[in-house]
Amino acid sequence: MLSLLPLPAAFAQGNRDFMRETGKINVVVAVILVIFLGIVWYLVRLERKLTKLEHQTKDDHEWKN
Amino acid sequence: MWWKTLSVVLVLYALSIGLLIPLKPGVVRVSPETAATGQALSLQVYGYNSFFSKSEPGQIRVWLEYDSSRATAAQTIKVLNDTTLEASFQLPPYLPKGEKSTLLTAIVDHPADGVSLLPNAIKLIQDTAFLKSGATVSSMVSDSAWTLQPIDNLHVIKDFSFPYRNVIYESIRNTYYHVPMWFVLMFLFIASVWYSIRYLGKPDPDFDRKAAGYAEAGLLFGFLGLFTGMVWANYAWGKPWSNDIKQLMTAVALLIYLAYFILRRSFDEPEKGARLAAVYNIFAFASLIPLLYIVPRMFASLHPGATGNPAFGSEDLDNTMRAVFYPSILGWTLLGFWIASLRIRYQRLHDRSHGLD
Repeated sequence: MLSLLPLPAAFAQGNRDFMRETGKINVVVAVILVIFLGIVWYLVRLERKLTKLEHQTKDDHEWKN
Repeated sequence: MWWKTLSVVLVLYALSIGLLIPLKPGVVRVSPETAATGQALSLQVYGYNSFFSKSEPGQIRVWLEYDSSRATAAQTIKVLNDTTLEASFQLPPYLPKGEKSTLLTAIVDHPADGVSLLPNAIKLIQDTAFLKSGATVSSMVSDSAWTLQPIDNLHVIKDFSFPYRNVIYESIRNTYYHVPMWFVLMFLFIASVWYSIRYLGKPDPDFDRKAAGYAEAGLLFGFLGLFTGMVWANYAWGKPWSNDIKQLMTAVALLIYLAYFILRRSFDEPEKGARLAAVYNIFAFASLIPLLYIVPRMFASLHPGATGNPAFGSEDLDNTMRAVFYPSILGWTLLGFWIASLRIRYQRLHDRSHGLD
């Protein structure tokens, strides 16, 4: 129990890490990067699904390009 | 593929560096905003991103500038905190050229932050009491009081920070996200018209799919550019739509491209529709050049660099900004081509499964 207490005290003394710098703009950037990476993850998934479908139809059709 | 990874890396770089690098120090406002000649003025100067307490108090200098060779300097300066200082002036009794009033630029210079300024910071009004008593004072005398304390030995700090501009402030970062949308649109529309031309040479349905896919992705980025521009305009120009020449011409260009998709779908025979759409696309692209690059140069615009380069002059973009702006353009462009390629591949599969290929 007592071991939890020094944590807020450390921040009050200005013991700050990268995410707790004055202004906390880093937190905003982190949120935006998470959103962007989520969209990229979705694009990669779409990419894989398309590639899979393309390989399936390749067996049925004469594939050009 | 490597270029898809590169697009993600570059956009991640533009998003993080473009938001994290601080602005250069600037002057937000001064108080009071009016003063009379001959007055002992105590002026509060409010800085932005400034570190007034990092310099020795004696090293901070403040001027009220009339023009490049005329200014009056503060006699004593008191630093209240990093972003506030108090400058005491003994204002000259007369304005340099006998005006009734004039607007002066506030200039602050010290080693820690370098020089920063605020144009039209304070209105200086000629005290008429001095005019009555000093009716014989020649213009030489009234002028000389303004040339005694020249603005010299300014500190120029060269570090990695973005320019401070009044009115737009932090929103200067939108340059890295709003402006690249137009570059992506242009590159995608170029790809689109290229495949339309090839389709007219050889009616391969794949050329038609590519022309449509790139145009669709280009249109997406066009609307993103238009909407992000409206958000920015609301806070930089006061309202989202000002009928600015670039706003109008962009809206016209996007409508022309919207019509391309309506045209494509309005034919029962896909080949006939594709052929006509290809011809239309070439005309649409040809109209894009005057709409986006020629007409906006002929009219006054709220956009920066309107009279010369429609996008950016060298004054609007310094080297620090270039280090984020160009990678951002490349990153978003590659991402745009990735999205377009997914759309094209989907359409190819769709057409094959429907026996349209």
